Amino acid sequence: MNIQLQVLGHALRGVAEEMGAALIRSAFSANIKERRDCSTALFDERGRMVAQAEHIPVHLGAMPDAVAAVMEHDPSRKDVFVLNDPFAGGTHLPDLTLVSRTQVGFAVTRAHHADVGGLEPGSMPAASRTLDDEGVVVPPTRIEPGTLEALAVRMRNPDERLGDFRAQLAAHHLAEERVADLCARHGLDGVRAAMDELLAYSERVVRAGIARLPDGRFEATDVLEASEGELVIRATVTIRGEELEADFAGTAPQHDGNLNCPLAVTRSATYFVVRCLTDPDVPASAGAFSPVRVTAPPGSLVNARPGAAVAGGNVETSCRIVDVLFRALGRALPVPAQGQGTMNNVTLGNERFTYYETLGGGQGACPDGDGPSGVHVTMSNTLTTPAEALELAYPLRVRRHSLRRGSGGSGLHRGGDGVVRELEALEACRASILSERRVHAPAGAEGGDDGSPGRNVLNGEELPAKATVDLEPGDVLRIETPGGGGWGAG
Amino acid sequence: MLGVDVGGTFTDAALIADGELRTAKVRTGERQEESVLAAAAAVGAEELERFTHGTTVATNALLERKGARTAFVATEGFEHLLHLRRQNRAHLYRLCEAHPEPLVQLDDCHGVRERMGPDGVVEPLDLASLATFDAEAVAVCLLFSFRDPSHERAVADEVARRLPSAHVVASHDVSPEFREYERASTTAADAYLGPRLAGYLRALGEHCREAGLPEPLVMRSSGGVATLEEAAAHASWALLSGPAGGVVGAARLAERAGFPDAIAFDMGGTSTDVCLISGGEAERSLERTIAGFAIRLPSVDVHTVGAGGGSIAWVDAGGALRVGPESAGAVPGPACYGLGGRRPTVTDANLLLGRLPPRLADGLDLDAAAAAQALGGLDPADVVRVVNAEMLRALRLVSVERGRDPRDLALVAFGGAGPLHACDLADELGIGTVLVPEAAGVLSAVGLAVGDERRDHVRSEVRPLSEVRSLPSEGTADVRYVGQSFELSVALGPNLAARFHDLHESRYGHADRDRPLELVAVRTADVRRGPALVLPSSGHGTAVGPAVVELGGATCWLPPGWVGVRDGGSWRLTKA
Repeated sequence: MNIQLQVLGHALRGVAEEMGAALIRSAFSANIKERRDCSTALFDERGRMVAQAEHIPVHLGAMPDAVAAVMEHDPSRKDVFVLNDPFAGGTHLPDLTLVSRTQVGFAVTRAHHADVGGLEPGSMPAASRTLDDEGVVVPPTRIEPGTLEALAVRMRNPDERLGDFRAQLAAHHLAEERVADLCARHGLDGVRAAMDELLAYSERVVRAGIARLPDGRFEATDVLEASEGELVIRATVTIRGEELEADFAGTAPQHDGNLNCPLAVTRSATYFVVRCLTDPDVPASAGAFSPVRVTAPPGSLVNARPGAAVAGGNVETSCRIVDVLFRALGRALPVPAQGQGTMNNVTLGNERFTYYETLGGGQGACPDGDGPSGVHVTMSNTLTTPAEALELAYPLRVRRHSLRRGSGGSGLHRGGDGVVRELEALEACRASILSERRVHAPAGAEGGDDGSPGRNVLNGEELPAKATVDLEPGDVLRIETPGGGGWGAG
Repeated sequence: MLGVDVGGTFTDAALIADGELRTAKVRTGERQEESVLAAAAAVGAEELERFTHGTTVATNALLERKGARTAFVATEGFEHLLHLRRQNRAHLYRLCEAHPEPLVQLDDCHGVRERMGPDGVVEPLDLASLATFDAEAVAVCLLFSFRDPSHERAVADEVARRLPSAHVVASHDVSPEFREYERASTTAADAYLGPRLAGYLRALGEHCREAGLPEPLVMRSSGGVATLEEAAAHASWALLSGPAGGVVGAARLAERAGFPDAIAFDMGGTSTDVCLISGGEAERSLERTIAGFAIRLPSVDVHTVGAGGGSIAWVDAGGALRVGPESAGAVPGPACYGLGGRRPTVTDANLLLGRLPPRLADGLDLDAAAAAQALGGLDPADVVRVVNAEMLRALRLVSVERGRDPRDLALVAFGGAGPLHACDLADELGIGTVLVPEAAGVLSAVGLAVGDERRDHVRSEVRPLSEVRSLPSEGTADVRYVGQSFELSVALGPNLAARFHDLHESRYGHADRDRPLELVAVRTADVRRGPALVLPSSGHGTAVGPAVVELGGATCWLPPGWVGVRDGGSWRLTKA
């Protein structure tokens, strides 16, 4: 491969990473600045992703849709667009996404804001039934003077929203400058050629990786724990030579709750699995995904129609899609046992403050080692908010944050342990919990034991997997996250 | 003035006496204290005014996991802080990849009933709730001890009473700053490494006494120095002792040449350290990761790349040429050394490109045929381009990405391989001047000899800047907008707020001058300036690229279009 192009490819990845650092370091939402729930990327002129600063896997396959949605509006050179509509380039509403033009293509930032309005503070309601319940829906919108201010006043804490928007805009200014620098040094054609080569390189690596997997057609199902009962997700994976297809026919229809997801999220989850099983180190670019095809029946849980509630789809259904795909491919090759399979979303707030966090749990054990404890296992990789940062900023107290020892499944290799986290309210507020694997335990593999399912407890009383409750000062919410499955008979 | 720097293969000494610089290199032996004395003797050290030492004992003990058996005491309910880290996994797509094993085992982590909050005591301390345990070292980290250390101090005292021979470290003494995991991780490393470093420094002190040398000062990660006793009390401060010396040396060399702003570029055999120098001082960072552990302490902001002259070139599955992180090391070394190396390294590529002499200054004959065989079909120019791309990323990271235009900076190249690559890198970055010391192989020891005596202090604040009545006149303030989590360091002095807004604007492209500011910490230092950098005044010459210039312990490559002027102890290379 041409060395000059390789060097430029490095430089483009460096720009995406620098954008991410600028966003995190100047942001205001705890969820962005402490937990790093954000991603940044560069795209070429045709809307293909060429470089991404990888923070959150669920953003991986979902950002291209944002660029495609903006391209329909003929963006000009100085335009910046904002959007969050899950059915026009977004994922779920709190993920506010900005798209700008650079000299050769586009720059994108996606950040999970602390609140975007809607029924519940924090905009991650457990019981939403339509998209409008979840907050302000922003179709791709050109940012003009006053646009962001007008959006922010429809959300809680408009001042914090504007601070976060400014941090995102800073990353876009930086992308603009850096890409222009590269063009000045290497010429437009040089940068274009480097982008093409980056895409081709990733594609070669992933094709070679898929070719090493056995050909065949493999099926599996698993379930989500919706309030009204279990919802089936079914996947059929076909591997043929250098290409892989995942089809979700047989998956439950979209439902009246918020576990629906747009196809973009389903694609992200599929790309994630392909990445784990082919080359975990391949640079993230559209090339890496081109040998992968994802189909799902329109109107199903994993390809919902516009207007459906989706708050839990991005965070919970995405985890289960990964579980189903690993289970299907496990019929052909060694795969890890199931991890916690949930992000344990906890949102607290009132009209004065909003706070959102997700919690790690046990990773399923792998064919070659124990599963790590207390980590996000699939589509997230956000950090914890330090108790000291949390208590300095919010009327909350962390009572306990510890490993949930013994919750990982035993086996030749042990599943990772979940965690226990207790939050005490210091003023009256609402709490929403969106979680999974409270009934069905993460499964062990090849004779390994299952991990322990998770638990949600308020003042000693068990809550369901999805719950919205009022908290009074002194109330303690305790979340026990699931342990991962073990691998192999121990 | 004597500086002695211990590295993995060699121990270097630099002595400044009677306006002259003398240097020496000896092999590093099994016991570092003996190597230090041997190097001091080799350079003819006696009647010293000051002796400064850079050590890798703490770093190596961390990398090799040879610290003390350590226990950890935390607020009840937070005992597993070191194991939970910040919950992110080690690799996004390799699901079972593990973080480094914590320095304290799970069963050695204990809780104590108490609770501090942001505004003081929430639950009183109950010392009786602390279990009985045994350990060689103990790290104590209670929540909010950076606000009110009284509980933490009482627990540390109690542990010291129960275990009189244990090395006990309280987090507020090491790193009195918010974010409990990072503070706990720093404290655990400090306790874990303490007995080992203290033992070494004690032995070194005795050896020095016997040899009639003064007790050495120890270089700390921050670029400051400490007495043996101070250094032994807090081992985590010595984790970057070695690289700090090099950066100080580079800063002094650049300043002497008229460049207060520069980048230090130290390329060795297996890794490369780069650091921005601003106004004659190394840039400092407040937090970094060392061997996978968060260390929240001020340190010279050295960015390390896992590639150097000995790094091995290979082709990956997608057909891309890659260099490192695997290295041929000292044994077998590059193929051209003829010591059994068979795989292609950066040094082999440089030899084939005619950038190394057929015989090195230390008498080693280089085997071009072996280099050619090792490279096989690889183009040596491609190997150099790929490793340079890695270096460029690092150099951009410490300059462009910090809002500094590299065209305003000089590049100070040292280490065995730095001067070979420096001009190419300068070309790419638009840097007009490259400075190369004749003593390129021992600049770290020179930096130790001439470094300032600097003692750092930090005071945690975390309160509105508008409420702060008085501040020291010198030092830096860590400031952020209320609501942000990351701060920027601003020099103390008039117009602090305005200068913060300006810095925020230059760093992130925006400032909000109406938004209230928060003072996070105040950092001050007592500084006694070191001696002037003395370099030999003899030795003048010029070179016109393409040219190979041999230096003590390194080789310098001038590509076409570059000219070099030697002025005594250093070369100034400029683009013609």
